[in-house]
Amino acid sequence: MSKKKFHPFEGIWRDNTVLSSLMVISPVIVCGDTLRNAAALIYAFSAITLLSVLISSFVPKKLPYAAKIVIYALISSAVYIPVKLAAQEFFPGVVSRVGIYFPLLAVNSLIVFQTEAKFFRMPKKHMLVSLISYIIGFDAVMLITAFVRELIAYGTINSRMADADTLISGLGLPFGGFILLGLFCGVYRALRSLFTGEDKEAD
Amino acid sequence: MFLITDLIALLTANLILTQALGTSTLFIAADNRRSLIWTALSITLFTTAGSCAAYMTDWLLPAAAKDLTLLMYTLSVSIIYVLLLSALYFISRTTFNKAKKYIHLSAFNCAVMGTLFTATGRASADPSAFSISSYVLFGLEAGAGFVISALILTAAYRKLNSAKVPAPFRGFPAMLVYLGIISMAVYALK
Repeated sequence: MSKKKFHPFEGIWRDNTVLSSLMVISPVIVCGDTLRNAAALIYAFSAITLLSVLISSFVPKKLPYAAKIVIYALISSAVYIPVKLAAQEFFPGVVSRVGIYFPLLAVNSLIVFQTEAKFFRMPKKHMLVSLISYIIGFDAVMLITAFVRELIAYGTINSRMADADTLISGLGLPFGGFILLGLFCGVYRALRSLFTGEDKEAD
Repeated sequence: MFLITDLIALLTANLILTQALGTSTLFIAADNRRSLIWTALSITLFTTAGSCAAYMTDWLLPAAAKDLTLLMYTLSVSIIYVLLLSALYFISRTTFNKAKKYIHLSAFNCAVMGTLFTATGRASADPSAFSISSYVLFGLEAGAGFVISALILTAAYRKLNSAKVPAPFRGFPAMLVYLGIISMAVYALK
């Protein structure tokens, strides 16, 4: 058990999955350009990560590191199958639009590596709360990024026309995603150090 | 002239600059020369051997079982991962200790899995690309693309981490913006 103080909402603010740890950033950069894509990715990420980490927590801890990593990756790849089938029902068309980023969510570093480094060092209750906070952390960033990009790049909000005077279509492209996420990252760090008094610029 | 054309082709097909695959690994690789060499080597090995395994999977897996593709790819990469670690362990314990961190980092990486899915997507769109040589070549290209991106980032790494950059933007945020600008330039080359 870790002696580190437990922060239940660490994944949302102090150690945000995307903005602080830079995990699972490729779907945010490439596919996080509309709220529809974001909703499908949020559903898939939340379902796959939650189920995979919970199932993986029953893997014996005494196994060698490489064996555990392989088992975690295989579990999340197996969990991906029903999640994808359900997504095709809930979000018709989005799964094909999101393309390769949908299966890539299943082998994200939060599941494959952070489980071992972070979650499995906690008692089960703490692990569940922390895991949910990390998932919400990703979901929030994905939602905010998609909202801003859809509004500025396409002039719409959830595919409905919005009253946007100036459109920057490049923001809907991957380079726009890189730049916007970089700016969000910087603003997040500035706000974090302002509110918590910490300076984690070297993380 | 051919070299320039090839370089432009490598840049425009670059999985990091065009699809953001393996970005966080790139940041680790660009930290120092040793990281760059080991990460580039292991990523290239996984993309190439993985592409070969992806070809076999696509060839053997019936159309009705396409939902199992990710599981099969993960299984293939897992086998390569375990074989590579075991081989290094028995060949040289010193090399194993030096390389294991980078092998762990590269195995289940977005750059590797993304390469396998992109190779499959290319072959679905163009049946002439459905050959083992085409898959392996694509895997090698993806590895070379990673090296090019890492070199581009390494060139500015010190400056992006220097005290001249405002503290909140120092490091990762500045690197993301920098990659965005490079990605924009690559987009213009297309």
